[in-house]
Amino acid sequence: MKTELEKPALISRKLTHRFGDKVALNSLDLSIPSSGVTALLGANGAGKTTLINCALGLCKPSSGSITVFGRTPGEIDTKHLVGVMLQDSNLPDLLTAREQIELFRSYYRHPLSSDEVIVRCDLGHFVDQRYKKLSGGQKRRVQFALAIIGQPKIVFLDEPTTGLDIGARKIVWNTINELSDSGTAVVLSTHYLEEAESLADHTIVMHQGELVANDSTNNIRAMASGAVIRCETRLDINSLLAINHVQAAQIVGRKTEIRTDNATASLRLLLQADSNLSNLTVSKSSLEDAFIQLSQSQDTGQTQHRDTPTGENQ
Amino acid sequence: MSVFANETGAEILKAVRAPEFIFPTLLMPCAFYALFAIVLSNSGSNATYLLATYGVFAVMGPSIFGFGVGVSTERERGWLQLKRAGPAPAYAYIGAKLVTTLLFVMLALIPVYLIAGFAGGVALARGTWFALFAIHLAATVPFVLIGINLGFTLGSSGAVAISNIVFLGLAVLGGLWFPVFAFPSAMQTLATFTPSFHLAELALAVVGAPGERTSSTNALTISIMTLSLLVLSLWTWSRQKQ
Repeated sequence: MKTELEKPALISRKLTHRFGDKVALNSLDLSIPSSGVTALLGANGAGKTTLINCALGLCKPSSGSITVFGRTPGEIDTKHLVGVMLQDSNLPDLLTAREQIELFRSYYRHPLSSDEVIVRCDLGHFVDQRYKKLSGGQKRRVQFALAIIGQPKIVFLDEPTTGLDIGARKIVWNTINELSDSGTAVVLSTHYLEEAESLADHTIVMHQGELVANDSTNNIRAMASGAVIRCETRLDINSLLAINHVQAAQIVGRKTEIRTDNATASLRLLLQADSNLSNLTVSKSSLEDAFIQLSQSQDTGQTQHRDTPTGENQ
Repeated sequence: MSVFANETGAEILKAVRAPEFIFPTLLMPCAFYALFAIVLSNSGSNATYLLATYGVFAVMGPSIFGFGVGVSTERERGWLQLKRAGPAPAYAYIGAKLVTTLLFVMLALIPVYLIAGFAGGVALARGTWFALFAIHLAATVPFVLIGINLGFTLGSSGAVAISNIVFLGLAVLGGLWFPVFAFPSAMQTLATFTPSFHLAELALAVVGAPGERTSSTNALTISIMTLSLLVLSLWTWSRQKQ
């Protein structure tokens, strides 16, 4: 990738957004490269949608700044550079896909031809049906068509595959890859780790309005590739941390939780160190879990237990 | 211009494809007019007076429902949000809806006029016909503004309910169905606060049945109401954007 040499597509500085008392984005500093796919990964309430809405000019930051290709979001010239698929956005039921495409085409200065969009999004066999009659996956593909019709330089996709079955999801993934290959920057928000892994060159992890990690997806996957060992042991935290590959350890009730980047190696040493070790389980850590813990250990200098919902892989 | 043409085309298609919403607003005025002005009427002059007031009634349906229910539904579905994220001009959306509304207003008015002329024996000078039609068309503006305010403030189910109440309330209070002088005096006072009442008096004056106010008083009152509604709708619109 050559992204290092290019100017970023999106830059935010101390971007903060509040809804009443609730802080949706907390002093976010980040940049998004102008090519490739960037995933915004995080649970509900992480601030992904608010970030996208700020980038579109749909919500004004409470403080801080955000620019898209150096321009202010929401200005007419910026809007011509941006395509979007919003999370809760339904098109008029009574218009056909083709009619919606023709209408949206007329908003842009240099739009693609309708026929090209229909081919690229594979709308051919339902393009003349009313929107109401389409399946969930077909509706998303029509929305996707509207996102790319204006030949934008950056496309924001807010949870493009939420609620779709695997087949429909794969079709959307293919279209996203093709879009990225054609040189358009793609920003997609998701709470599916697998989606970030299979699509994104770059992943931004968010949690409760804060930036947790911003790196290449490969690095992030590597950082989160570890496992969590749970067991009852007489070893204290310090001697656990001294074991090879152990990254963090904490005591939760009677059990000890040990995070490691190499479960096999750590386990071998652990069993040597405590022959009475019992109630052993080993589980793969989820990306989000790993980063929540990571961010907290950065904040406080020690690990703590925290109740966060796992099971993001549905 | 092509944006505007496209938006208008889309608006007309949406309206035509929902005949269950269109037909009542088009049929009710001429059905009611035929019933009260001709079938149940015992005096020939009634048909003329009621043409003036039922014309205003015919304008209200497409204006209030088209904007009130239409805008709130599209806002709630996130369609307006998507347009706003893209470079869709707001004037084209509102303008297209206005043109479509005027089209349906004419479709609602023409049958009422035809019934009046052919079945009701209403005889007016050619200039009077046109003046009456012009007043009825112009009546679209304040009712559209009422619809816009409802559409930008209410959720879609609320908009349906409130639009109905406003629609029926303005029709009855404004004296569009029964003359205002038949009301108790409190209701007569209330009537003077509705745009429908002043529009009906304007139309009645054209056909030779002026109320106790001069037409310029009616016109001034209507203008002030329209201007206030415009200011209010600009405010609700900008509140949308924040």
